[in-house]
Amino acid sequence: MANPIPSACCVVLAVVVVYAQRHSQQDSHIQYERVGADVTMKCGSMDWDAAVTWTANGTDIDDSHLNGSYLILKNVDLTQSGQYSCYEGSSWHLKYQTNLRVGVPPKEPVLMCRSNNYPKGFYCSWHLPSPTYIPNSFNISVIHGTREMVCEKDIFPKNRCHIRYLQLFSTVKYKVTLTVTNALGKNSTTLTFDEFAIVKPDPPESVVAKPVPNNPRRLEVSWQNPSSWPDPESFPLKFFLRYRPLILDQWQHVELSDGTSHTITDAYAGKEYIIQVAAKDNDIGTWSDWSVAVHATPWTEEPKHLTTEIQIIDPHLSQRSGDNLPQPPPPPPPHSLRTLPVLSLFISSILHTLRTYHASRHRCGGGQSHHPPSRGTCPKKPRR
Amino acid sequence: MAAADIPSAALRHHDLCSRGIRLARKMRSDVTDLLDIYVERQGLDASISVAAVDGVPAAAAERWAEQSGTQRLLDNLAAYRAFRTLLAQMLEEQREQLGDADAELGPALAAVLLQVSAFAYHLEELLELESRGAPAEEGSEPPAPPRLSLFEQKLRGLGVLRELAQWAVRSVRDLRQLAKHGPGTTLEGSGTALGLPESQ
Repeated sequence: MANPIPSACCVVLAVVVVYAQRHSQQDSHIQYERVGADVTMKCGSMDWDAAVTWTANGTDIDDSHLNGSYLILKNVDLTQSGQYSCYEGSSWHLKYQTNLRVGVPPKEPVLMCRSNNYPKGFYCSWHLPSPTYIPNSFNISVIHGTREMVCEKDIFPKNRCHIRYLQLFSTVKYKVTLTVTNALGKNSTTLTFDEFAIVKPDPPESVVAKPVPNNPRRLEVSWQNPSSWPDPESFPLKFFLRYRPLILDQWQHVELSDGTSHTITDAYAGKEYIIQVAAKDNDIGTWSDWSVAVHATPWTEEPKHLTTEIQIIDPHLSQRSGDNLPQPPPPPPPHSLRTLPVLSLFISSILHTLRTYHASRHRCGGGQSHHPPSRGTCPKKPRR
Repeated sequence: MAAADIPSAALRHHDLCSRGIRLARKMRSDVTDLLDIYVERQGLDASISVAAVDGVPAAAAERWAEQSGTQRLLDNLAAYRAFRTLLAQMLEEQREQLGDADAELGPALAAVLLQVSAFAYHLEELLELESRGAPAEEGSEPPAPPRLSLFEQKLRGLGVLRELAQWAVRSVRDLRQLAKHGPGTTLEGSGTALGLPESQ
């Protein structure tokens, strides 16, 4: 007679395997539905009139949502995403399971292409204007004339890819199409552009501003080419510098066709300045974003002691040491000397008022101000 | 070349490159303005696409960075000689179409034609300095313009000007590369001329 124990083990093992397979298949089932849709779930192969129990994320679902053994979810919303399971009434055998994911089809994606490393290539990046709440896949195609180019996906960020230029100075436009797809629909957008139009360097780096010793109206500013710009010698950049004292809103602007430094010569003495720089290829493309702002205050002289003024007014105040004889009262100072401190205060306040007045009137390019007009243009960024 | 001439050759080379860059940039600016005038006077849509036009030298270059200095000069010279002919044809067509009634397009075309001619001459000087000499222009007569409808002529003209604007940018880059590497040097890549005849 055969040993019954190994046979029983085999049977148990077979049951476990079958159960695991069924369970894993049911686990992997995902059902995508649109927000607002009506969803009907069948309990596997169970008859309509079978007694079943439905659960959502382990919690029993009220019978009011059942139509026979079918689960009816009306006008689903995002909160109803989850794992839905159906059990046979008396045996509690799992008959059906699904992972319901409620979401929306994708809206038209936002696509941007830019060359910050001309002439090596350009990159395109994208995002969805609003979430879909379910997984999306993106496909990008780049066509140049009749040639389809490869856009190599970046590891980070994930929504970006880059293309190497195979040709330079081409008049043929590039056409980039991005398609986003999910289980509920798809959408796409297309960009068409010239090689030159998308050239936009990164902002200048390492911007430094320092006062100039013994020069109360100067600030020395220096910066570096963006490290992403591969060949500044062959493809030189020009720069746009803007600066203003913190107390004013109006920027001064200077455009510089070469070099990576500039001396501001019309700074207001003693005022803290904010300074930024932007970059552009000398011949094509658009200006970069502004660099990180730096702050600097021009050099100022050390303030003098106040006792100097008193000595001028009354030179007779000092006494010889050891002299105990009472001194006759000093004669009153001449009228002009008595009014000197009052006069100095008056003059100081006039000067301050004048400075404030001229500061509020001062505009780019000069005008009536006695400050030297700044070179360059006034708009926020110059034209190409 | 005598040793004493080498520094002056380098200076002349640098000077020619710098002036050439300025000429090319000015030319590009004027061609851009001319494009605006042309599109307006010819009643075209500025965004219209124009297919590659026969006989118009394309500025597009593959492996541009690998070109030798001489190759750059030869490509540029061939292009601007072609543009000289094309612009002259356009000027003739424009005079036939619009006559003296057009006070803007004709003079603008003529001004750019002059700059193109001057730039071609400038390139010939650079080639002389490279001890290559400018190749002779092929044929004594320019090729006859193709028979096109009026609209096709307008589109062709647009294609010519767009390509010329592109060439002007390329020329700035080419001359900068040339200035960087000095006179008479051959860069990596194909450094030989195409076998065009030397000038006398």
